[in-house]
Amino acid sequence: MKTPVASSDRGQGPYLRRFSNLDRGLHLAVIISFFGLVMTGIPLHFSHTRWAQAIMRLHGGADSSGFIHRVCAIITFGYFFTHIGSVFVRAARSDNWKSFFWGPNSMVPQPKDVRDIFQMFKWFFGKGPPPQFDRFSYFEKFDYWAVFWGVAIIGGSGLLLWFPEFFASFLPGWSFNLATIIHGDEALLALGFIFTIHFFNGQLRPEKFPVDVVIFTGRARAEYMKEEHPLEYERAEREGRLAELEVPAPGRALYLWSVIAGMSLVALGFSLVVIIILTALFAH
Amino acid sequence: MIGPDVVPQGSAVVPPAFDPRRHRPVIVRLFLAAFALLGVPGEAALAQIPANVVCDKCHADQEFLVGKADSPAEEAALHVPTDIFLGTSHDTVACVECHQGYGDSYPHGIEVTSIACESCHEEAGVDWAQSTHAANLEDADDAPDCMECHGIHVVYDSDNRVSPTHPLNAVAQCADCHTDSTIIATYYDEPDDSLARVAVEHFWEGAHGRGLSKAGLVSSATCSSCHHPHRVLPADSANSTLHRDNVIATCGECHLGVLETYMPSAHGVALVDSVETDEGDPAPVCTDCHVRHQVENPRQESWHLSVVEECGTCHQSLYDSYRGTYHGKVSQLGYGRTARCSDCHTAHGVRALDDTLSSVHPINLVATCSQCHAKASEKFVEYYSHGDFTNREDYPILFWAWVFMTTLLVGTFGFFGTHSAMWFVRTLVERSSPPAVETQEKEQ
Repeated sequence: MKTPVASSDRGQGPYLRRFSNLDRGLHLAVIISFFGLVMTGIPLHFSHTRWAQAIMRLHGGADSSGFIHRVCAIITFGYFFTHIGSVFVRAARSDNWKSFFWGPNSMVPQPKDVRDIFQMFKWFFGKGPPPQFDRFSYFEKFDYWAVFWGVAIIGGSGLLLWFPEFFASFLPGWSFNLATIIHGDEALLALGFIFTIHFFNGQLRPEKFPVDVVIFTGRARAEYMKEEHPLEYERAEREGRLAELEVPAPGRALYLWSVIAGMSLVALGFSLVVIIILTALFAH
Repeated sequence: MIGPDVVPQGSAVVPPAFDPRRHRPVIVRLFLAAFALLGVPGEAALAQIPANVVCDKCHADQEFLVGKADSPAEEAALHVPTDIFLGTSHDTVACVECHQGYGDSYPHGIEVTSIACESCHEEAGVDWAQSTHAANLEDADDAPDCMECHGIHVVYDSDNRVSPTHPLNAVAQCADCHTDSTIIATYYDEPDDSLARVAVEHFWEGAHGRGLSKAGLVSSATCSSCHHPHRVLPADSANSTLHRDNVIATCGECHLGVLETYMPSAHGVALVDSVETDEGDPAPVCTDCHVRHQVENPRQESWHLSVVEECGTCHQSLYDSYRGTYHGKVSQLGYGRTARCSDCHTAHGVRALDDTLSSVHPINLVATCSQCHAKASEKFVEYYSHGDFTNREDYPILFWAWVFMTTLLVGTFGFFGTHSAMWFVRTLVERSSPPAVETQEKEQ
């Protein structure tokens, strides 16, 4: 059998569920809205360049660009609050609601995460083995909380700029200057982070290259889980939950589309980063 | 190319301001007096005035003229029946008023001379004599004299629809030479791109040209409205109506309202006082923003956007700070539905910030911003339209926000960039080393 291109589908063992359908859907909403926001917002940051002007024309101009940006903003607020709501609903329905807010299954940073960071750097210098991750590694948690921070900061400043007349009823006018700086720079940070660090951690590092579709299909092979999240695998094994996590292999169409989407988005995002870096170096 | 749809129509003769009747030779006055005594109605029969009747004896008779000149063309030129003057501006002018030198008798010899037009049209003559046309006519014999534009015998006033100098015909008249490759080649190295040829093309695309061709406005500016009908000179010539010192008055002749707004504006005052910028740039005049010939409709987005650049040539730091704002970025991307310089500062009535009549004086800001932001309030207009986050003194809040964001950006990328790079290197190192060693290391 040929080795699958996606790292999540390589190796031995049955497929195990990693992400719920809701989380897969929300991540897709994040992708769509994020790319929409980036593509319609970034031209403003680099308005002096030809490429920014070309992207604007591609969207059909400033008006439609602004419209797409606002639609994507609504999607962003939508997935943001859907997720928060879902966390509380899932916690309420769960036998062990505390596990959502503390412990190996939680997104809340744990003392182990701090130890893992140190362990990771030790490993970088060849001074020990790499850390063994549970359900979520510290860098995955960082990505997760970065969205919280990002949506709050970019979303908040964006609302200010969307409804300036309303906000000026109790805020001074210069808060829009402030909002512009924060919105733009935080957006630049977000896109730079997603398109380099997140993509590296998620897809481009040698272990995962060229693509990892676990977030799209929601499942990965046991071997992948043992490598990436060994502690979680062992826990499930110990607690006898492996059979319960077992799911059928992703359908061919889902798998193919996931690979295509993953690789195209990385290519698109990475190209944009290259263009931005070249602009910063040569066109300022 | 866009051009006027010229359809000569019936004309209504309007008396000229200049009255040639006051300049008639004595002999003509006597004839006229005689006719008056005979009771012949004067003006209607002027083409039949005795002097002309005499001329008609020969010059209305085509057959008679055969063999009287060296060539058929010259013979044709001699054929001038006086009834062609009927309805023209010269229908009260006798042949002998322009043609002299044949003594008292006829048939006369060939020594007849034409007197210069400026002997009656004094001012036009003086103006034309200073023009580039006059100079080129003398040097290269390829520039127009009076008759080239106005016609030889059949001469109408410019407000007569059939006159070649009527506004709806005049541009074609100028274009005749100014798009002629042979003539252009004499004066320009690159005839196809020459200012003269391009000027005509651009004119029809501009607001004035479209005013003529699309709206059919006779009040729309033609070549001569700006370049002066007779004193045609390059704009850098001090005597030109388009010279910096004169162009305000030239445009203001039609755009009086703009002139009245401009003169008391900061720019107008600076112009009158000859105030210059530190770089030595003078105050802007009409043609600095409204580019020659291609005078675009100010509603045209592309033009409006390009004017921002024009303002920036003097107001560099304000331009830069504007480009840093949302307004400036949207306009830089090429979209006009955002505030440009003139939207806030007005186009012609730009005044200093501390002038209470200025559109951007604090007392007027709410009204100015409300043009776009309907519910703009006192707090709303506290927005820094030229806020510059690199300017720590004037905008400390923006500066420190920017410092914070930059630190965050550099910090995040610094940490995770290092993280990713080291991870990448480590994985490659592990993969290249034998698995046995790796296991050993781990066990240690």
